[in-house]
Amino acid sequence: MNYPPEQVEELKAYCSKLHYFEEAGFPYFRMGGLRLPTGCSPVEVEALYCPVDRGDGYPSRLFFLEPVSGPFSRNWHVSNLHIQGQNWTAYSWKVGVANPTLAVGLVELMKGLTRPQ
Amino acid sequence: MIEVRVSREMYEAMRADLARPHEFAAERVGFSMGRIGITASGCMILLTRYCSVPDEHYIDDPTVGARIGTDALTAVAHAIYHGRAKAEGVFHVHVHEHYGKTGMSRTDKAELPKLVPGFRSVGPQAPHGIIIWSLDHAAAWVWLPGSSEPVRADKTSIVGAPISVFREEWLS
Amino acid sequence: MNQGRTSRQSFLGPDSDERIASITVGVVGLGGGGSHVVQQLAHIGFRDFVIYDDDVVEDSNLNRLVGGTSGDALSLLPKLDIAQRTIHGLVTGARVRGFACRWQNQPEALRECQIVFGCVDSYVGRSELEVSCRRYLAHYIDVGMDVHGTNPPIIGGQVVQSSPGGACMRCMGYLTPARLSEEAARYGEAGARPQVVWPNGVLASTAVGLAVDLVCDWTKKRRRAEYLVYDGNKGTMLQSVTLNHVDLASCPHFPVGDLGEPFEVEL
Repeated sequence: MNYPPEQVEELKAYCSKLHYFEEAGFPYFRMGGLRLPTGCSPVEVEALYCPVDRGDGYPSRLFFLEPVSGPFSRNWHVSNLHIQGQNWTAYSWKVGVANPTLAVGLVELMKGLTRPQ
Repeated sequence: MIEVRVSREMYEAMRADLARPHEFAAERVGFSMGRIGITASGCMILLTRYCSVPDEHYIDDPTVGARIGTDALTAVAHAIYHGRAKAEGVFHVHVHEHYGKTGMSRTDKAELPKLVPGFRSVGPQAPHGIIIWSLDHAAAWVWLPGSSEPVRADKTSIVGAPISVFREEWLS
Repeated sequence: MNQGRTSRQSFLGPDSDERIASITVGVVGLGGGGSHVVQQLAHIGFRDFVIYDDDVVEDSNLNRLVGGTSGDALSLLPKLDIAQRTIHGLVTGARVRGFACRWQNQPEALRECQIVFGCVDSYVGRSELEVSCRRYLAHYIDVGMDVHGTNPPIIGGQVVQSSPGGACMRCMGYLTPARLSEEAARYGEAGARPQVVWPNGVLASTAVGLAVDLVCDWTKKRRRAEYLVYDGNKGTMLQSVTLNHVDLASCPHFPVGDLGEPFEVEL
């Protein structure tokens, strides 16, 4: 894992458990009990945070193990994506911040749940 | 059902290592690391890497084909310890120089299972066992985590170019 | 020993019947490509199958779904049933584990295969299959065709062999960021893509040929990887130029020891 320890520590503030793995050469942080922004349901969810472009044109992605709803409708265009032996879902949201830290990237992704567009 | 699966590349490296002559040992042994995969029929042991036993770790004992000393077992214990987080276990490997079905010799039965409790004490969450290759077949015994008794593998597959599959039921 | 039905394929080797019968083969997708693959595998003598498709036969499939009949389309027969019928009609005592669902929902049986054919529509789907095959030390053979352009339309396709330890589909230049991005931009919708039976046949036959060689080693080529590009207008199947500078015997994307149940580091 090639991320500065301080950035990894910052991520822990957003979830109750944090694990790391790589699959097909891409890094993933498994965030158990990720606390979603106000207005989202469920309040906490198991998520995978991939802070790099997996080749699909999205600079980073946030995948969820169960459906998530927020105040605005989103394009949940990824469903049943198989990663690490489980099936994940994700909405379409591209982070525009250049070279964010892990935590900033995560926050920017979660803004996709609570911003009108 | 248990299957042991190894890549052709690792299998050939293993066989090449085990075929090397030794100054006094009549045969060589080695150790393969392996991890569990869950399948519909049971589980699979996937061999992840091979550890050769250095020449100097053998003991000159003309009463057996090969005897390794405590240095070799210490090295194995280190390998298991470092593989603990991944639940990576160890499999004692050697070759019987004949074609067809194979099994444990009298010496194998007397000596090899005695190694496994030591493996299990260092890596209790990992699978451990014994693999014996003949020139064109294989036999394997697996101690799954939590089980003090071995299960004979139903199938051994070498996946690469070409693929070879050895099944126990064909032998009956 | 090759006797009777397989006597004409004895050139595959004296023990080819036993070798072929020993393999557990997976086919994901039983449509235009997969139905061809299943039929050929059964003819050759493969007898242990794991197959997946959650779709039914419709009239629009009959221009290419091998083994499908008009009656099947009228009754909306599952494609899985057609594949099982094909296999059992050719292989007495065949073991067929069929799943009318996405393989991702019941992946455990697929892990037992030494060879998996991917006959799916999406690049993401192909990538997922490759990951599973690498994790469980299986060969992955991908088959796909498309028709693009007009005046005249161009029929294209590919057969890719991704094998443990060898170059993967990314290494070989098949799964590219451009393809994945374009698919993501379409939100993964393939739409009603043009499909016809004869290119599917060429591609499926080529794929099955690769598989038989992996099992029987009759060409002695011992491919570590392969990427063949089909030009349906010219009638050619040529190795992709993207392989020119690729080390086919290695892959940085799938570490050789990353096998078995997924492993994670607690932080």
